[in-house]
Formats: sequence, C-alpha cells, structure tokens
Amino acid sequence: MIHIVYMSRAVRPLSDEDLQALLGQCRDDNARRNVTGVLFYSHGHIAQLIEGEPEILEPLFDKISRDGRHSDVRKLVDKRIATRSFSEWSMAFHPLEPTGFEALEGFLLPHKLTAPPSTLTIADAMLVDLVRLAVFGPETMPAEHVESVHA
Amino acid sequence: MREEQLRDILHHMPAGVVTLQGPELRFGFVNEAMRAVLGDGVREGQSIAEPAGLVPADLLEVMQQVYQSDRPFVAKSYCIPQPAADGQPPRLRYFDIALEPVHEGGGPVSGLLLFAVDVTVQEEARQRAHELSIETRRLDTRLRVLTETVPQITFTINAEGKFEYVSPQWYYFTGQPPTTDLNAIWPLLIHPDDRLRVLYQADTARASGIGWNFEYRLRRHDGQYRWLLSRALPEFLAPDKPVFWHGALTEIHDQRELSEALRQGEAELRFLADSIPELIWTATSDGFIDYYNQFTGEYTGLTQEELGPTGWINLLEPSEQAGAARRWVQSIATGEPYESLCRMRRHDGHYRWHIIRARQLTDTRGPRWFGACTDVDDQHRLREVLQTQYDELARTNRDLDTFVYTASHDLKQPLLNLRGLFDELRRTATFHDPEDAKIQGMVDGALTQLDATLQELAATVQDQRGLTAPAEALDLRSVAEEVLLGLRAQVQDIGAAVELDFEAVPTLTYGRANLRSILHNLLSNALKFADAERTPLVRVQSQLTEAGRPVLRVEDNGLGMVLPDNSTAVFQPFTRQHPHIAGAGVGMYLVQRIVTSRGGHLDVASTVGEGTTFTIYWFD
Ligand SMILES: Cc1cc2nc3c(=O)[nH]c(=O)nc-3n(C[C@H](O)[C@H](O)[C@H](O)COP(=O)(O)O)c2cc1C
Repeated sequence: MIHIVYMSRAVRPLSDEDLQALLGQCRDDNARRNVTGVLFYSHGHIAQLIEGEPEILEPLFDKISRDGRHSDVRKLVDKRIATRSFSEWSMAFHPLEPTGFEALEGFLLPHKLTAPPSTLTIADAMLVDLVRLAVFGPETMPAEHVESVHA
Repeated sequence: MREEQLRDILHHMPAGVVTLQGPELRFGFVNEAMRAVLGDGVREGQSIAEPAGLVPADLLEVMQQVYQSDRPFVAKSYCIPQPAADGQPPRLRYFDIALEPVHEGGGPVSGLLLFAVDVTVQEEARQRAHELSIETRRLDTRLRVLTETVPQITFTINAEGKFEYVSPQWYYFTGQPPTTDLNAIWPLLIHPDDRLRVLYQADTARASGIGWNFEYRLRRHDGQYRWLLSRALPEFLAPDKPVFWHGALTEIHDQRELSEALRQGEAELRFLADSIPELIWTATSDGFIDYYNQFTGEYTGLTQEELGPTGWINLLEPSEQAGAARRWVQSIATGEPYESLCRMRRHDGHYRWHIIRARQLTDTRGPRWFGACTDVDDQHRLREVLQTQYDELARTNRDLDTFVYTASHDLKQPLLNLRGLFDELRRTATFHDPEDAKIQGMVDGALTQLDATLQELAATVQDQRGLTAPAEALDLRSVAEEVLLGLRAQVQDIGAAVELDFEAVPTLTYGRANLRSILHNLLSNALKFADAERTPLVRVQSQLTEAGRPVLRVEDNGLGMVLPDNSTAVFQPFTRQHPHIAGAGVGMYLVQRIVTSRGGHLDVASTVGEGTTFTIYWFD
C-alpha cells in the first residue's frame, strides 16, 4: 500500500458543476478500485491525498497529472504506508450554492474537515495540515484542530 | 458564297471591325462586337462624328488625320468609357485599336478600316501589378526602416551558410567597414572559446533544416566581447527545402552578467551553507522543505529525498514531534518566526539537543523560509550538570541549616539545665573571695549570651527555611520523584534501579521541606553505599502498620553495616559507617531529629554484604 500527496493549480476556476462532475466521476472510479483519500479545492488551489495499491495508484497519478483541468502538479510524497488512514474518498470545497451539496455523498465543507487521522505519522499528518493550510488558508484551520491532531 | 462566308466570319469575330467611308467617315460595315462597344445608335451611312460623344474627341481627330495622311496608326490600351447600363456604374474598357487607310481600286484614300480588340482584362491585370509593385516597394521600405532601427542585428543566411544580408547594426556593432567580407570576417569576431561551438551548432541546424537559438560572445568595435543571443528560423520555398535562414542577434550581455552574478551569488551562498557545520534548510511559503545543506545529510545520514518535505519531524525525539509539528503549522499560518528546543537524532541513533529556528523572508521572489538547527547539546548537558550541582549545594545548605536549627534546639535543654544548676549553686553556696563574685557574674553573662545566640541561630534558620512550616497533605510519589530528579546524576552513574511503591499510602500530611530532606538523605545514602558487585536496587515503599499508622520503608542492596548494640548510635552526628565514602555525617542525625521532632521514630536493620533497610514510623 502507498499514498501520494500532490498540489496543483486549476487551469481555470472550477464551477460548482465542474466540481460536482469531478466528485461523481472520482467517487465511483475510486470506490471501484479501492482508492481512498481526500481532495481539497479552493480558488483554483488543489491538493489531494490518495492511498491504495501501487499498481493502481501509480497509473492513476500519471493520468491525474496529465488531466487538462489542472496544471503545475507537484508531488510531495509517494511512499509505502502500513495501513489506510481514510475509509473512503471525499472532496472538500466551498460551493457557491451550498444547499444540495451538503447531502452529496463524499462531499465535505472545508470547516467540517476533521484533523488528519492518527494512523498517519506525525510528519505525514503535518503534511496534510500544511496542504490544507495552503489550499484553504488559515481561516478554516480551527484553533483546536491543530491541537487535536496529535493528541 | 465566299464573300458571304467572309462577312459572316467578320460579323462574329471577337474583335470589333468597322469600315468608315469618305472624308466624313460614314459607317459602312459594323460587326457585332463593334456594335456592342459603340451602342445601338449606329446607322449605316451615318458619320461617326455625328452622334456627339459616340467616340472620344481625340480618337475622332486621330481618325481624320489617318485619313488625310494615309498613314496607319495603332493605339495600345486605349480607354473608351462605356455608358452606364442597367444601374451598373460606368465602366472603363480598354482596347488595342488599329486604324488602316483604305484605297478603293488602288486610288487615293477612300475610307478607314478600324479594328478594336478588347484588352480590358489585361489592362486591369497590368494596373493591379503596378499597384502591387508600389505596395511592395512601400513594404520593403518599411521593412528596411524597421530592420535598420531595431536594436537587434538582423541577418539572412543562405543554404550554403553564406550571409545574404546583414543589417547595418552589425557594422555599427563590430566597427567593420561596409566593404568587409562578411563571411570571412564574422567567424573571426566570435570569441575563440565560443567559435567552434557556434559554427558547429549553426551548421548542424542548417543541415537538419531547423532553426537555432544559442548564445555566444562577439567582439565589439571597442575590442570588448559581448554576449549575444542568436536566433534564426528557416524559410522554405518548397516543403523540406529551406533556402534561407532569417534571424536576429540580441545583445544579452547585461542580463547574462546579472544572472551570472546571481548564479555566482547563489552558488557562493550554497557553498557557504554547505560549509557550515550546522543543519541549514529552506522551505517554500507553504512550509515544505526544499533544500537541506550538506551537513544535514552528514548529521542525519539521510538524503534530501529520504527526508522529504516534512521528514525532519521524524528526526525529533518522538515525544517532541507533535509539539514541533503544531508550532511549525502555526508559524506557516501566521508567518511568525519558529523556534523550539528539541532532541534531534544523529545518523548513529544518538539524540542531541538542538535549537531550531526559522524565519520567513519576503522579497520579490515571494515568501520563503530559512531555518537552522544549532547543536546546543554540550551547553545543555553542562547546564544539567550545573543544575545538579546547584541542587546538591542547595540541599547541603538546607541540611546544614536544619542541622544548625536542630542543634540549637538540642542545646537549649542542656543550657536550661546549666542555668538551673548555676542558679541553685549561687543560692546555696557561699563565696568569700570577691574574685569569685566576679567569676559568677562572668558565668552568668556567658550563659545569657549563649542562650541568646542559640535563639538567634534557631530563629534565623527557621525563618529562612520554613522548617517549621505547617504540615500539608503531600503526594509521596511526586515529592519522591522531585527528589530523584535532583539525584539523577548519581542514579545514572551507578546504573541504579529505583522502585517507588506508594499504593498503600499515597499521601502523607507532613512538612514539605522536612519530607524532602528525609527522602533525600535516605535515598542518597542508599545510592552512596551501593555495592559495586551488583546492580544497585533501591525500593521505596509506603505501608500501614497493624495499628493503621503510616510507615515508609527504604530498602537497598548495598554494602550494609554492623549495627552497634544501641542502634540509635547510628544516628549520632559525625558517626560515619564507611569512612572511605565522602559525606558530612550529619544526614542520618538530621533525619532522626526531624522524625522524632514530629512525633515519630526511625528504625534501621542491616546485614553486611546484603543491604540496609530504614523504616520511618511517621507518627507513634
Ligand atoms: C484534481 C483532479 C483530481 C482527480 N482525482 C481523481 C481520482 O482520485 N480518481 C480518479 O479516478 N480520477 C481522478 N481524476 C480524473 C482523472 O484525471 C481522469 O479524468 C479520470 O480518471 C477519467 O479517466 P478516463 O477518461 O481515462 O477514464 C482527477 C482529476 C482532477 C483534475
């Protein structure tokens, strides 16, 4: 099992429809291939963590990095892990029209995000905190969030 | 039949044919094409001059002159405006016109034969070509002005690599005369270190039919070599067959010097960072480390890839990782400087104390973080040793105070007795010698002074140390751990194991300073008299007696001692069981004094070569 974390920039701002389409596509594809993780999106900033078997994840990352919807894909980690830290795949972003989204499976409002799971090493949990900070900015980082990460 | 045929042919000829007769030039034969040109107002026998404006005046005049002079005339591209028809704008039509004098029966001129061939299309094409050539000349001029005023040198090279054109800037730049042989001179002006490379690169590009883009130094008129960027693209006349390369030379000397200086500066800084025996790193504005200096690799034994953007956290002592990570995320979120004191793992697994500091730099290249980890292990350890020594001194000081206090207290009773006896003696005995009375007075004075001194001593120490502080509920474990902390150097030195078991009686109501003093003396004794033959083991245990009174047992497996018959002798001041071991010898005396002063007693059992057990009965 490996996990990969990357950051990228959307080529143009993604609309609610774009994000919903991406959510739908990824949720189904990932569930089928046992890929879990989380994607953060805000104002053109993208960060994603995916975990799964290397023979699935490596070609998937290849495909994602060539996806025309974003560019400037920077891989931050790509390494072996002992266990999964996410039970499913989800996406967190601020929709322009939040109603309707809240009920969507796999969707999260950024401030509803919980601290990185404790199955991650502290270095990896910090990495997730940092990419989250980079995407959403300090406002959506609840003060106690950082505290509870490594409790 | 033949004539009719001829007429027919003439009638349908695509050129206009008309015969004009007599000096009045009356219409004779007019074919269809001619009718189309002259219009319907043409009648046989009518003079061509009659319907005014049918033929332009100048043509009419020429016709009359041809008639009179008997000399044929040919006019090329003669313009006859066509009348506007059906709302169409009037159109200019052009004809090649031939006028032939006709001599009927070989006599004098009797008429004219006029041929008119429509050449409008050709004429229009010719005019367009003319306009085009004017436009081309204009564009050419513009191009020349442009190529000669831009700061770049522009050039054209043919497929053989020979210069076809070079803009005047080249001559200004090189200072060469306009007559110079470009192809011979140019290569000689290229910096010797660049020449071969440039010639090869240009040659290769031409051979493969592609453009080029390279930099080289060219000698300027003042003899200085300046960096130029040469870019050229091929022009194809047929696919795959480039015939010319057009390009430009841009002077990039200053940029190149600047970036060279930057590169140089960066290389120097990096060299500096790599030479410092300290862990130095930089991070992106998002908080991901993107550079570790060479020493980091040497210290950690890990490569930049192995460390990764957040891997430094893994180097910290595990209990310190979470706090450090939290503070780093906090610094990235706020931009505040980062600072922490952490133990960092060396390649051999050893942890050393470091101060980690990082600050954010914001300049034109956007915010970045610069950090350093300074090894403060030696300072840290020195401080620990000093702290231990300080603790030890403070304790000794306290013990001495306690000793002074208890001693002054202990001396009070004998003094009281002495005073009683002396008063009794003075009352019952009679002294005759007046010197005796003087001595009596001196003894009295000395006793009073001794009493005052003892009291003062007790009061001073008492105030300073709070030895008579009121009893309070104390957590035995935390006080014991506090005391052990002060003794950790000794514990580590001999590798002793200390077991604490306060389950039966976790708290005790006692004076804090007193309890600390007791535990300190008992524990440091146990450590001091350890037997080098075995691993020192000290067991501290609280218990309840059958009567329900709290007891504390301190048991060691040290040297042990021979107890005198009266075991209280052990507790006399300056009694030292093991003269070869350092110590003031007042410790056990103090313990005993404290315990008894608070209403308890101290018990000891010992076997030489096995160990010693002290039992404190807190309250009898
Ligand atoms: C930011 C971003 C994240 C993506 N994440 C995933 C993902 O987690 N799983 C996935 O299957 N496709 C993901 N995709 C979509 C893939 O790039 C690709 O479009 C998708 O796998 C469909 O590929 P296909 O057309 O070859 O079936 C992502 C695309 C973008 C732009």
